[in-house]
Amino acid sequence: MTKPETILKAEDIHKSFGRLEVLKGISLEARNHDVISILGSSGSGKSTFLRCLNFLEIPTSGKVTVHGEEILVKNGKPQNVRHIEDIRSRLGMVFQQFNLWTHRTALENVMEGPVQVKREPNAEARDKAEALLKRVGLEDRMHMYPSQLSGGQQQRVAIARALAMEPDAILFDEPTSALDPELVGEVLKVMQSLAAEGRTMIVVTHEMGFAREVSSEVVFLHEGRIAEQGPPDEMFANPKTEVFERFISKVK
Amino acid sequence: MNPIEILFEYWPRLLDGALMTLKLTFLGALIAGLVSPGLALIRVQAAPMAQAPLRLYVSFIRGTPILAQLFLIFYGSGQFRPALEEWGLWTFFRDPFNCALLAFALNSTAYQTEILRGGIMSVPQREIEAAKAIGMSRSKILRRVVFPHAYRIAWPALGNEVILLMKASALASVVTVFDVMGRTRQIFSRTFDFSVYLWAALIYLCITAAFVLLWRQAERRLSRHIHAPGTPRASAQPFKESQA
Amino acid sequence: MFELFAYGDAGWGDEILRGLAITVQLAIVTLPVGLFLGFLAAFASLSGLRPLRALGFGYTTIMRGLPEILTLFVVYNGAGLLLNKGLRWWNPDAPPSDFSPFAAGVIALGMVFGAFAGEVLRGAFQSLDKGQVEAGRAIGMTDRQIFRRIQLPQLWRFALPGLGNLWINMLKDTALVSVIALDDLMRMTKVAVGVTKQPFTFYLLACLIYWAMCVLSEVVLAQMERRANRGIRRAV
Repeated sequence: MTKPETILKAEDIHKSFGRLEVLKGISLEARNHDVISILGSSGSGKSTFLRCLNFLEIPTSGKVTVHGEEILVKNGKPQNVRHIEDIRSRLGMVFQQFNLWTHRTALENVMEGPVQVKREPNAEARDKAEALLKRVGLEDRMHMYPSQLSGGQQQRVAIARALAMEPDAILFDEPTSALDPELVGEVLKVMQSLAAEGRTMIVVTHEMGFAREVSSEVVFLHEGRIAEQGPPDEMFANPKTEVFERFISKVK
Repeated sequence: MNPIEILFEYWPRLLDGALMTLKLTFLGALIAGLVSPGLALIRVQAAPMAQAPLRLYVSFIRGTPILAQLFLIFYGSGQFRPALEEWGLWTFFRDPFNCALLAFALNSTAYQTEILRGGIMSVPQREIEAAKAIGMSRSKILRRVVFPHAYRIAWPALGNEVILLMKASALASVVTVFDVMGRTRQIFSRTFDFSVYLWAALIYLCITAAFVLLWRQAERRLSRHIHAPGTPRASAQPFKESQA
Repeated sequence: MFELFAYGDAGWGDEILRGLAITVQLAIVTLPVGLFLGFLAAFASLSGLRPLRALGFGYTTIMRGLPEILTLFVVYNGAGLLLNKGLRWWNPDAPPSDFSPFAAGVIALGMVFGAFAGEVLRGAFQSLDKGQVEAGRAIGMTDRQIFRRIQLPQLWRFALPGLGNLWINMLKDTALVSVIALDDLMRMTKVAVGVTKQPFTFYLLACLIYWAMCVLSEVVLAQMERRANRGIRRAV
């Protein structure tokens, strides 16, 4: 691990909804094993930025490069649309509302991507999915439907679903915000273990503990721009900007 | 003849038909509207045994074609002619308009009862309790609390039911009532000009559109105290399938 | 009086059963036609193309606002006129020919069913959870895969109750074809009435048969809904 390679690079991402400019030029680079926490108050554009990375939201302009595959966007039009599905299959995503497919069991949810998108043989995908569900502590829930699982369990299935694609990096969009407080811990624990494994992760979150203890880098967004950025220890110890100082004093 | 000429020559008949369609629909809906609140109350409050005949009636109406119901009344009454004559009812059943109206009223009563029942069941218990707490009598609670609420909820569905009734009224033409459909078939059999059907379609669509507008206006009044001006509201949707 | 309903020359049982067979046939043939039109209408009204959307809206709105019997006559007479025009163009001496009432019934009832089904399917489509579509996108599924693997299986669950109602309505609407001289249950009943002079008895019988079919349909539909919801809404 002498020279960590760049997994994902976003350059000068702009996004407007009508006249409202939500992202005003954000750049970010994630190297192998990075765990980047994106913080910011609501309306700062953090979720929008994350969704721009895998083109669930099409940026107004900017460039996203994943593993050498780059997509340039000008005037809201991606230059090479064909690569979008490719990039998406290389980036896992975990949603705030889990977004599990309600008509499929936990196991089927995890198998869907490998079988349908990567065309892996069924048996192989099943073995892998079983292993992953075991990995997130759900070996006894594999054949249940999402409606039979608690929020925390659903989110862990969603994480297993993202892992099944063997992604280069995983995007987390406020993964614990929709959970009851007593269920937040089990999801954070799984995320922490993924970080310890050396997974590359970009996490939009409100969990200060996670940002501080687990992440290697913290990015603070304010009004569509990066207001502050750096290693968590430094940033939390002596905030350089007033907005970030106010932000951490409020969430504490 | 071109479509304009057809209209020019036959518009008095079509207008006459339109009035008949309106009359059938309006009277049918009105009769059903007068009977259904009582029946809906029975459906909500009465003992299951007392409800049984009512449920059977609703299920029968819902499970059979209106055309069959109409024939059962219009032609079927002929089987009991001597008895009906004895009771002085034969003049009523001899007239196709009366039979059609009776069939439509019976049909609409079943549907309106079910719609209102849903409305009554959606009245929050706490509103009724509040009324009891200030000492309102049972009938007053029904009049002042339960039914106003129930009608507000049921209004869009009742509107749909009236539109369905209006469409169903075209069946009266089969027993020789001259509504829009009856006049149209009469004109077609004389001229073999297809465009008369298109005029008929236009008349039906206009009646529906006008009715939807009126009904929404009424709805706005009914729920004035809920919606501030300009806020979006659920309103009568034309033609929405709500029953059967 | 049971000999009235006997099977064979003496009673009317066989005639009425034959009529019932036509009624059932008509409904079963109409169903796929109506569903197909319904899907077309739903796709049109959800399409990104404005003219297509307008077409979908126009079709569903107009068809749902017209009396079914008017639609039936428009199709029957209109198709008949076209047919004869075509025949005369082909062969000026051709005798006038009638359009098949069965085909007219299938087309008209199918068009009505399709208009209502279009709305049911559109509603079902719109009530699908958008997040699940995004999850499909996020793992790189194509739009087609998302439709086939995620939306379609769940569409069924949302649309089934509405489509079930439409099936029952259509089953009842088949009675209208008796007016254009198709020998369905209703018309065979009328024939029996004409001979026996017992209108109430026979129309009541017809009503009871329709009623039985509708109740049976309701039972089957409830069963199907239970199956479609398997695992979805139990628990938690």
